Amino acid sequence: MGMTITEKIMARSSGRDKVTPGELVWTDIHSVMTMDFLGRQCFDKFRSLGKTEVFDKDKVICVSDHLVPPPNQRFANMLNEWREVVKQHDITHFYDLGRQGIAHQIMVEQGHVLPGTISIGTDSHANTYGAVGAMGNAIGVTDAAVAMATGKAWFRIPKSVKFNVTGKWQPWVMAKDLSLHIMGMMHWNGHLLYKALEFTGPAISSLSMAGRMTLCNMTVDLGAKNGIVAPDVVTERYLRNRTNDKWHFVKSDEDAEYDMVYDIDISDLAPTIALPGKLDDTVTIDKLIGQKFNKAFVGTCTNGRLEDIATMAEIMKDKQVHRDVNMILVPASQTVYLEALQAGHLETLIKAGVAIDTPSCASCAGLHTGVAGDGDIVLSAGNRNMTGRMGSRNAKVYLTSPSVVAASAIRGEVTDPRTFDI
Amino acid sequence: MIKGTCWVADDYVMAYDIITSEYWTSPIDPEENSKIVMSGVKEEFSKENGFKDKGYTFIVANHNFAGGGKSIEHVVTGLMGAGIQAVFATSFARLQFRNAINYGLPFITSDDNMHLGCETGDELEYDADKGIIKNLTKGTQFTSVPAAPFVSKVAEAGGLMNFVREKIANGEPIE
Repeated sequence: MGMTITEKIMARSSGRDKVTPGELVWTDIHSVMTMDFLGRQCFDKFRSLGKTEVFDKDKVICVSDHLVPPPNQRFANMLNEWREVVKQHDITHFYDLGRQGIAHQIMVEQGHVLPGTISIGTDSHANTYGAVGAMGNAIGVTDAAVAMATGKAWFRIPKSVKFNVTGKWQPWVMAKDLSLHIMGMMHWNGHLLYKALEFTGPAISSLSMAGRMTLCNMTVDLGAKNGIVAPDVVTERYLRNRTNDKWHFVKSDEDAEYDMVYDIDISDLAPTIALPGKLDDTVTIDKLIGQKFNKAFVGTCTNGRLEDIATMAEIMKDKQVHRDVNMILVPASQTVYLEALQAGHLETLIKAGVAIDTPSCASCAGLHTGVAGDGDIVLSAGNRNMTGRMGSRNAKVYLTSPSVVAASAIRGEVTDPRTFDI
Repeated sequence: MIKGTCWVADDYVMAYDIITSEYWTSPIDPEENSKIVMSGVKEEFSKENGFKDKGYTFIVANHNFAGGGKSIEHVVTGLMGAGIQAVFATSFARLQFRNAINYGLPFITSDDNMHLGCETGDELEYDADKGIIKNLTKGTQFTSVPAAPFVSKVAEAGGLMNFVREKIANGEPIE
């Protein structure tokens, strides 16, 4: 019996020829990421293990993303402590304000994640790393501290679930719609808990790296352990100028064993929206046409990339955001910000009446930059819609794709980008 | 053998509600976290020490306890600080399941229908060695999936930090 891509990565990282689901192993970690609001606690815990130097200064990646730029004195003080502790440990890669981005975007974009290896991060959306064929996994600060000290983490080998995705993407339908479609189909409560989700098939091969990142990013929200797309020519092209490390085209064996296999034809996949409160409470856009909202948000580790911004610009060119809507765009990193600027997208969006803020997690973590107040109805291209997620517990958050947010922001009500006059 | 009263959770008890967002950036500290733990779950838990003052020893939950994909450890430390000694559920969200193992707090996968057979305030008795949970109030009994040997070892060491610290101090490999 062969192995799935996730099993192969875990076998290789734990020095074994073969692993089977259920087995508990300690694996080598290619890189470990931590960020501003949890990072100091990681380093404190790390030192309490009796170590002073991290296992590899080039492989502990530190990012300022949740708290920057500090909106209040408490965050400013936390950031100062954070900078101090990163400096003290002589960390090579520190993406602080000015060079910042959302940690998961930074990890992939700056080449800190490698196909066929395991990278972990102290934020739940570390699953994003699966986009380049790595095993990306979210962990707590305890695991991060242990990995900083030893270069290792413990894992139970997950069962794998395959999504074989076929068909042709309709215009304006995005990877986010597939994520939300799977969320509604599988439900949040159960089937995919602890599982390794593998996305394969022609409709995945044709997805850009940005789309693959969106898809893998939201696997944590399905309860899964990781999401992964086997590296291919798209991966090779993406990584060419981002890393000098050697890597292999690891993929699942033909006779690998899956817990479940699902076939999805995306040819008639419609833009999909998660209703406020629960991620798996999804509807196709036709059920919500005309729904009013007063805030629109595009950004986050799910949908703040160049492709997302380019899509918005294409829809919003020479148009105006509706007078009853405030719209904010937060690019996922300084690199994305600069690329969007150079491509002219930001000019298009500013002329359309979109406010643009410096890269950070922004209101997605409910901490700053456009948080929701009482009674707000937010149309968001982020990843979570739970009560209180973006600020007030009396606000409602609808989740959807950047193309739906863009078209809807102009009309001031939920609008299908496929029928919008562009 | 652990004995005490239980709180039976509703569906969809999420990490978000166990520790609400304004506390995500606070220090990880059982005493501090326990004051506000569960504050977003129910009105009666929303005031300081609202959950802790109830004096529960166990939580009984259905699917995906502590879900919503937060990696913050405040969830587990908050529950421990509030006196919770074991959580029984049909299934757990993986991030908090992992954190619970790392802190040595038993998150026990139990019979599917256990949450239906218990009411808040019932007195339970948990025998970890045998994996048996007795509901003393109702005179019923449930079984649980035994913990993996690694999980038990970590719990015996008092958590992953102690487990690893000891290995580092003794120069033993981590494998």
